Parts: sequence; C-alpha cells; structure tokens
Amino acid sequence: MRGYEQKSRLFRVISLALILGVFQAGCATSVTRMDAGEVKDLSGAWNDTDSRLVSEEMIQDVLSRSWLQQYVRAQRKQPTVIVGEIRNLSHEHINVNTFVADMERALINSGKVEFVASRTERQDVRDEREDQDLHAREDTRKAMGQEIGADFMLKGTINTIVDPSGTKQVRYYQVNLTLISMADNRKVWVGQKEIKKLVKRSKLRF
Amino acid sequence: MKRIELVRSGSGGCVPAAGAARLGLFFTLSLLLGGCATFSETFSPVEQKLAAQQPEHALQLLEKRRYPRRDEVLFLLNKGMLLRMARGYEASNQAFEAAKQRINELYGASITEQAASFLINDGTRSFVGAEFEQVLLHLYMALNYLEMRQLDQARVEALQVDIRLREIAEHVPESVYTEDAFARYLTGMIYEERGEWSDAMIAYRKAYQAYTKYRDRFGTDIPVFLKYDLLRLSERMGLTQELARYKREFAISQWQDVTSLRRQGELIFMLHNGLAPIKREQSAMAVNPASGRLIRVSLPYYQPRQQPVVRARLIVGGDHVQTQVAEDITGIAIKSLEAKMPAITARAVARAVLKEGIAREAGEEHVVAGLMVNLINVMTERADTRSWATLPGNIHFARLPLPPGNYAVKVELLGSGDAVLATRELSNITIRAGEKSYYSYHWIPSRL
Repeated sequence: MRGYEQKSRLFRVISLALILGVFQAGCATSVTRMDAGEVKDLSGAWNDTDSRLVSEEMIQDVLSRSWLQQYVRAQRKQPTVIVGEIRNLSHEHINVNTFVADMERALINSGKVEFVASRTERQDVRDEREDQDLHAREDTRKAMGQEIGADFMLKGTINTIVDPSGTKQVRYYQVNLTLISMADNRKVWVGQKEIKKLVKRSKLRF
Repeated sequence: MKRIELVRSGSGGCVPAAGAARLGLFFTLSLLLGGCATFSETFSPVEQKLAAQQPEHALQLLEKRRYPRRDEVLFLLNKGMLLRMARGYEASNQAFEAAKQRINELYGASITEQAASFLINDGTRSFVGAEFEQVLLHLYMALNYLEMRQLDQARVEALQVDIRLREIAEHVPESVYTEDAFARYLTGMIYEERGEWSDAMIAYRKAYQAYTKYRDRFGTDIPVFLKYDLLRLSERMGLTQELARYKREFAISQWQDVTSLRRQGELIFMLHNGLAPIKREQSAMAVNPASGRLIRVSLPYYQPRQQPVVRARLIVGGDHVQTQVAEDITGIAIKSLEAKMPAITARAVARAVLKEGIAREAGEEHVVAGLMVNLINVMTERADTRSWATLPGNIHFARLPLPPGNYAVKVELLGSGDAVLATRELSNITIRAGEKSYYSYHWIPSRL
C-alpha cells in the first residue's frame, strides 16, 4: 500500500506542477522604471551599457588628443566635423546612432568642436531653405550656398568576433572611430574601444 | 501481493458496467478525436488562401487565430513569411527578428515542458523549429534586407548564419544537416558585393562542399553559377593551384573576371517554389489485452506537396537563363525528421507506458475515474505536427550579369517536359554597376 500512496502523491505533485505552469503563463505585464545609467544585461547582446561605455571612452579620448590644439593653432578657428558612415560589420543589428549622438552632444557642449549636419540630416534643412525662398519674409530668408564645409569627417566600424562553444559564448566587440581630414585624407585621430563578454546560457529553464 | 488482490477485486466487481462504458468510450473518442485537430490540420485555411494567390488574406486569417505562447515562434515565422510574400520586407523582418529572439530565449530544455511532454504529448513543448528552419530564418532575413538594398544589415545575418551553423554542428551528427549550402552561397554573394574577396571565397568554398553533400543526399546538382564564382574569385585572389583544380573539375575554360563583372550589374533571381512538406499524424490505437484499456501512439511524418514547376526560364531582351535548384527544402525537411524519429518514437512509447500506469492507478481508486483518465490519455496523444509550413518546397535561382539600366524580365515557369505553366513579366528591374539586384518570386500552385 505504501508504494501505491507514494505514486498517487507523485501523481498529485505532477498535476499541481502542470496547473501552476498554466497559471504562470497568464501573468500580467509589469513595468519597473530604471535609471538610464544602471547596468542590466539580459541576453548578452549589444545594449545601452555598451553604447555608453563606447561614447564615454571616445569622448574622453578625442578631446584630450593633440589634433585639436594643432588645428586651432594652425587655423585659428575651431574645427568643423561631419558624421560620415559608421559601418556595422558585427554579427548583431547594432544601432550606431546612440553613441554617435552622445559624442556629438559632448563635443558640441565642450565648445571646442563644431558639427555640421550629416548627409542624411541636411536634405531636410535644404528642403526647408528652398521653401523659405518661396514663403518666408525677405528679412528672415536664409540664402542658399552659405553652408559650412566640414574640416573633418568622423567615420568608423564596429567589428565582432564570436566564439561559441556549448552553452558558453565569448563575444568581443571592437569599435573603431577615425577622424579624417577632408583637405588631405590625413587621419588625425583614431579611437578604439574594446568590449569583451562571456555569455553563459542555462541548459535548463522553468 | 496485497495490491494484486485489490486490482482483481476491483475489476471483478464492475465488469458489466466497465464493458458498457468502454463501448461508449470508443464512440466518444472517435467523435472527440475528430473535433480535436492537430496543428497542421488547423493550418489548411491559411494554405488555401495561399493557393488562391492571396498572401494578404492568408495573413489576416493567421493573425485572427489564437495561439498558445508555446507556438509563438511558429506564428512569427509564418507571419514573417506571409508578409514577405506580400512584399512587406521591413515588417517581415520585424516578425523574423522577434522569432529569433524568442528562439534564443527558449535555449535550454524546460523542466515543466519536458514533464508535460512525457505526460501529455510533444506538442506541449515550446516550438523552436528544426535546425534547418532556424538557418532558413536567417536566410530569409538576409533576403529581405537584400531586397531592401541594405547590404550591411544582410551581412549581419550572414555572420549569424555562421554562428548558428557552428552551434548546430556541435550537437547534430554531421550525417544529417550541419551545413546549409544556399545560406553559405548567399553569404558569399553578400561578401563579394562588398568587395570582401577572401570572406567571399571562404563562403563559396563552404557552399561548394555543402552542395557536394547535397548532391549525394538530396540529388541537388552543384549550381553552375557557383562554379563560375569559384573560378572568378580563385583567379582574383591568385590561388593558382585551386584555380587549376576547379578548371579541371568543372571543365570550364572561360569565365567573366572580377573587373569586367563589376563594370556590370547582376540580377539574382530566386523562385520560391511551392510549399514545404507538411507534417501529418499517423497513429495506432489498440486495446491492451492485459488490462482492456485503450492505448494510442501518434507519430508525425512529412507529407510532400505538389511541385508542378521544375524550373524557371528568365528572358531579358535576347538573353535567357534557366534557374537551378539552390535548396531542396522538401528533401532536407524529410531527412532531418527521419533522423529525429527514433527519439520521437521512444518518447511516444515511454508516454504510452506512463499513461497506462496512471490510468491503472486511477482505475484502482474508482472504475469511472480509470475510464476517464484512459479517455483523456488517448485524446491527448497527438503527434507534434508543428512545422514552418509557409516555407517553399524548394528554392530555385539564377544569376544574370547585365549592363546597368532598367529592364523588363519575362519569367516562364516550366513544368515537366519544359511545358510553360505560367509566365510573368517583372517590369522596372534596376541594375546598377557593381551591385547585385535581388528579386524573389513566390509561386504557390493552386492545387496543393
């Protein structure tokens, strides 16, 4: 009889687990507000923390190097930079706009570098200027052909190397940014940020 | 000893009642089983809309149907494919990306789902797709990006294909499916368009190896286009020994070199032909002579579909080119299920034994409870017929170098004996120098 009781208890436990499983699926959405600076890694993929690490490193590096002083000394004005293409050569669909925007903001706010609108942004501005020509009051109208030509172009790549084995994965990201002089193709600054992660995935889940 | 007595006295006292009930059970079962359909049976309205060449309506039907959370990946895969057929490439990739993320979340075996699959059926497990379906997910995402002319994004998918295949090779024996020839070939074309010669060469080489295996396993010939690619790139990279070997193997002495090809553009035409085989259920029901209870074992099998089109012919101006099979999805699907059958069968048998045990326990408590449990056991024993049913049966393709310009391309779909089954005009195909223009055409026969 004991064996029989044990089995029927087992049966009850299994049914309970099944019922629980059904209920667990029906939980409601919950939202927790987080600080934008808080580190939270979920899947191991590129996330906001990586983007922030890259922008912090790059901003600090680009402002402290000699290209800036040399340019100001020689030209007696601040350099103007345009954002060119940042190529994503990684294995993930990475949004590069986040750290590029961070860099732009920090550089403009430093008061040492000026930015002009990039290729994708400026078409909108040109359309508006054309529109002003037709519709705006004469004293507020902006003339064509007065744009500032950039002195440097910011270009870059994101590369990754992934080494998966079983449940583990090493992900190595390398972000390279370069400032290229528009006048003579000189590379005046190369910034690099490396990020390495070990992602372990569980063999079991609930 | 005590237990056996208990069984005997219990069943001995209720034989007439149990006999009548069992008869009733049989009738109820046949009625209920008819009403409780497997996944592939419930999918047929969507297929019918596809056969009527109405992917938009098929999508509406698909979205209207409720599905459990465990089938989310399946829903997203089908949704992505239907959106793609309706030329909604961006929305299609959103669905595919969501499917990909869900598959990654579902990595690892679930304890509760394993328990449920041993107790109820295999369909209670979360669907993550077979290995080949996971690779094709990346392939179709890459194609979506290519058709939107987002080469860098397509390259991301090319890298993910490589990682996925490496993962698969770790836990699947090589004899089944560890390399995807067309996925490798497509990644090669992506690298080549970007001018990454060495990566392209490696990908073409891997595609060549994989096609050699495809030839033995599924009877897919090595596409002649790939042969020209291997010749062109090994020449470009100065791999003289390899070039000589390819020349000998392929018996080709003339080809277009890299520089001359880059002055031209290229049309890559793909025919996504028909629908992939669908999983059906085959079951055996028997009365256990020892206990008088019903036992049912259900197993899935692939049912191939009609494939009336055997190739397509592309006519551009005076030129014409015939497509070749790039990926025999029907063959791959059937072979990979075959490889999984021993495990599926073992699970089904173990489940039948367990279910029989539970029914016996319940019967010992009360004869009606025993019958009810037996009924539920038999009813829930359904084969897992979930598969990415909107995949094509096979993919044909052709590469056609063309000078830059706008073209109208005539596509003839050829049946057996090269009889023209249908023609279609593709107008306004733009070819740019040094670029590849991808064009996909999904064709589903009106009789499946």
